[in-house]
Amino acid sequence: MSDKSKGLSKAREIYLNRSQRAKELKAAGQTIIGYPCVYVPLEMLTALDLVPYQTCGDIREPVTEADRALPSSFCPVMRNCLDCALKNKNDFLDGMVTIHSCDPQEKTARVWESYTNYPYFHFIDMPITVRPEALEYFRNQLNDFRKTLETFTGRKLSKDKLESAVKFHNRQRALVRELYELTKPSPPQISGTEIIQVLKALTSLPVVEGNDLLTEVISEVKNRTNGLEEKPARLLIWSSTLDDTDIMQVFEAKANVVMNESCGGIRAYRSKVNFTDDPLEGLADYYLKEITCARTFRQATLGETRKDYARDLQSRFGYLKDIIREWKINGAIMLLVRYCDPFAFEMPSLKDYFDSIGVPSTYIEYDYTIGAMAPIRTRIEAFLETIDQ
Amino acid sequence: MVVEKKRTINRLKSMYPLRAKVNETYLKSIEAIQAGKPAVWGMLNFYYGDPILKAMDIEVVYPENYGAIAAAMGVARQYLDRADAEGFPTHLCGYSLTTLGYASRMMKELNGEIPPEAPLGGMPKPLFLMSSAAICDARYKWFQALGRYMDVPVWPLEAPLPGIKEFSIEDYYDEMVKLGVKHLRDFVTFVEDIVGRKMDWDRLDETTGLMIEVNRVWHEVNELRKASPCPMHSRDFWSAMPAALFLAGDLEDSLRLYQDMYKEVKERVHNHVGAIFDEKYRLVFAELPPWHSLAFFDKLADRGWNFVIESVGYHPPIPLDLSRVSDPLERITKFSLQFLVGYYQDALKQNVLGGTTAYPYLKYAREWRCDGALLHPLITCRSASTHLPYVADMLIEKMKVPSLSIEGDIVDLRLFNPEDALAKAEPFEETMEHYKKVRRQEGFDW
Repeated sequence: MSDKSKGLSKAREIYLNRSQRAKELKAAGQTIIGYPCVYVPLEMLTALDLVPYQTCGDIREPVTEADRALPSSFCPVMRNCLDCALKNKNDFLDGMVTIHSCDPQEKTARVWESYTNYPYFHFIDMPITVRPEALEYFRNQLNDFRKTLETFTGRKLSKDKLESAVKFHNRQRALVRELYELTKPSPPQISGTEIIQVLKALTSLPVVEGNDLLTEVISEVKNRTNGLEEKPARLLIWSSTLDDTDIMQVFEAKANVVMNESCGGIRAYRSKVNFTDDPLEGLADYYLKEITCARTFRQATLGETRKDYARDLQSRFGYLKDIIREWKINGAIMLLVRYCDPFAFEMPSLKDYFDSIGVPSTYIEYDYTIGAMAPIRTRIEAFLETIDQ
Repeated sequence: MVVEKKRTINRLKSMYPLRAKVNETYLKSIEAIQAGKPAVWGMLNFYYGDPILKAMDIEVVYPENYGAIAAAMGVARQYLDRADAEGFPTHLCGYSLTTLGYASRMMKELNGEIPPEAPLGGMPKPLFLMSSAAICDARYKWFQALGRYMDVPVWPLEAPLPGIKEFSIEDYYDEMVKLGVKHLRDFVTFVEDIVGRKMDWDRLDETTGLMIEVNRVWHEVNELRKASPCPMHSRDFWSAMPAALFLAGDLEDSLRLYQDMYKEVKERVHNHVGAIFDEKYRLVFAELPPWHSLAFFDKLADRGWNFVIESVGYHPPIPLDLSRVSDPLERITKFSLQFLVGYYQDALKQNVLGGTTAYPYLKYAREWRCDGALLHPLITCRSASTHLPYVADMLIEKMKVPSLSIEGDIVDLRLFNPEDALAKAEPFEETMEHYKKVRRQEGFDW
């Protein structure tokens, strides 16, 4: 990346060459730890001066090596991630942290660990409910993670260091929320495509550098004089993963995407970690309860012996109502990555929810390849016509 | 004179009364439900929830099994089409789509009545749904999705899944047990609240003890299959397993019938009687069998293929002495965990980090002295398929045992082509012969 670049141009450069900074840091003696999913508590890595680096797929990369270990009817994002790893694109990593956030994450973790040879590899198990015993179990899982990290680094993870790391990561979450405030005006001050560049850059930088980048971007965007084009639709995209600008640009050709509620968007930043006497409890609570991925089983009331569908929908999707109101959204895209079971099962119910609050919605599926762009274009154009009417 | 064709697979005599008991239990259960007894829809839960419901005398129907029945009897298609029309992606688990389409038809069109076309008495509207986190995401998301059609509560059973290396961290096992016991205690309260009755803890204790003993004997039966020739074919295994895996039927009856089976299998071992008449090749099968085409195995038996071990997900846990554990919920938890972690120490030694799903097949290949593996990936059952390429890779790398992969599906029966599969048998026999030599050259003892 050029030394002079700042703000959005810097984010774009990092987005286009994500591993460069990690390699520089590695050359400078830092230890780089990969993670494939936003459920991995990065605070624990930061607290031990480890640099977290999200291992992403690349929709332009045909999957070849991963065919050896994963069938084609499998989460294309994880196939693609593993493929990149098996092609040594992440060979600068000193370790990996994987997590049982969903079946494909768990299955891929086993293969990843078997077929690579990082000095450090850890798998965190994760319960599916938010019941008290599940939270306690998850807290203990994080404690086990702490133990292996301490053994690997030879350093103790102190409470002070962890709390300090939580502050930095909470600051990052707050900055990302501030960034999304800039999509509230009409026209938005920043595009969905630009936000993907910024957020994906964050996942390849140490948290402090990421916070500096966000601060620059926010300042630059607030002072923009060349505003974006106002388009007839203001869209919410709800997905497991939308982290590629080419795909986002297809949506933004004729609409403003003002909210990307996916793991490539705001999902990992919408809330914050609370400070608790035992910092691991605060982390467990945040990661299990606050990240709104479909993998977690939510209920209106824990252990309820009576059920009501409307209350059930509210407990699962109710957070979207405020987003829709505040960002003045007039269309929702349910973007499914093919073979993603947790999200696929949600589709009809989420459609029911959008209907119940009067928001037009459509379901589009893609296979996390560049070839998906044309069919998405056709589907989105058809949907936008229905909103126009 | 009519010459009766000798059956190629020499079925166990003791399998028939056991299977008859399972079938009879199923029919009695349907009759009881039709007479108004409450029923629960349950997922295969690997012993976590079933003993609790059994001790509380609650009938359980398993939509996964019903999906297989609906497919085999040709009625699944209309439910699949209906689920598709309701907006569920077609690449979801075929059994789940069958259930979702079925529930939609029952609740939206028939006001809660069982659809008249439903085979074997159908599935009545349940009292509650018991899902499970074990094995795959579909098995808890699917029951959550049923809320669209039925306002019935759901209890998702937690099922911890540790990593192989992580399992050896101090206190790790105890943490899993703690989760399980607390979770099951709350589950008992949930069930008590719904049915309006208290748990009979003595009965749960007795049920748990029987469950563990039934599965121990069933494990011992399968250990006998290491003999050469193998005395029991996978077809007998699949016929007999529901009594141990789903706790179908009276557990005391099941125990007696599995003990009878043990005696018969042991006698066969003693007399060198095989499950097929001329065992040329010993194979392991993974994972879900083609329920609709089981005669396919007869044709392979004609060629001397004996299936000596199979599907890890259907096998009982490796026995664990739980006699000193007084709390039945702790015994249930430890027994259930053993299903997964019983293989972990060995898997770690062998450095097979996919210990949950891949390592058992290595153990099977080595200890049951297999010449090959027949893998059956399923288009809409990813949980039973995703690990198979890895299994094949590990088998050939570590055991020099080759695999043959025959694709199929759990509901779209057209995808499984027995003729095509049989056409691959002869070349695969050459491969098995080749690797037999390779194993000997590399010092393996079979």
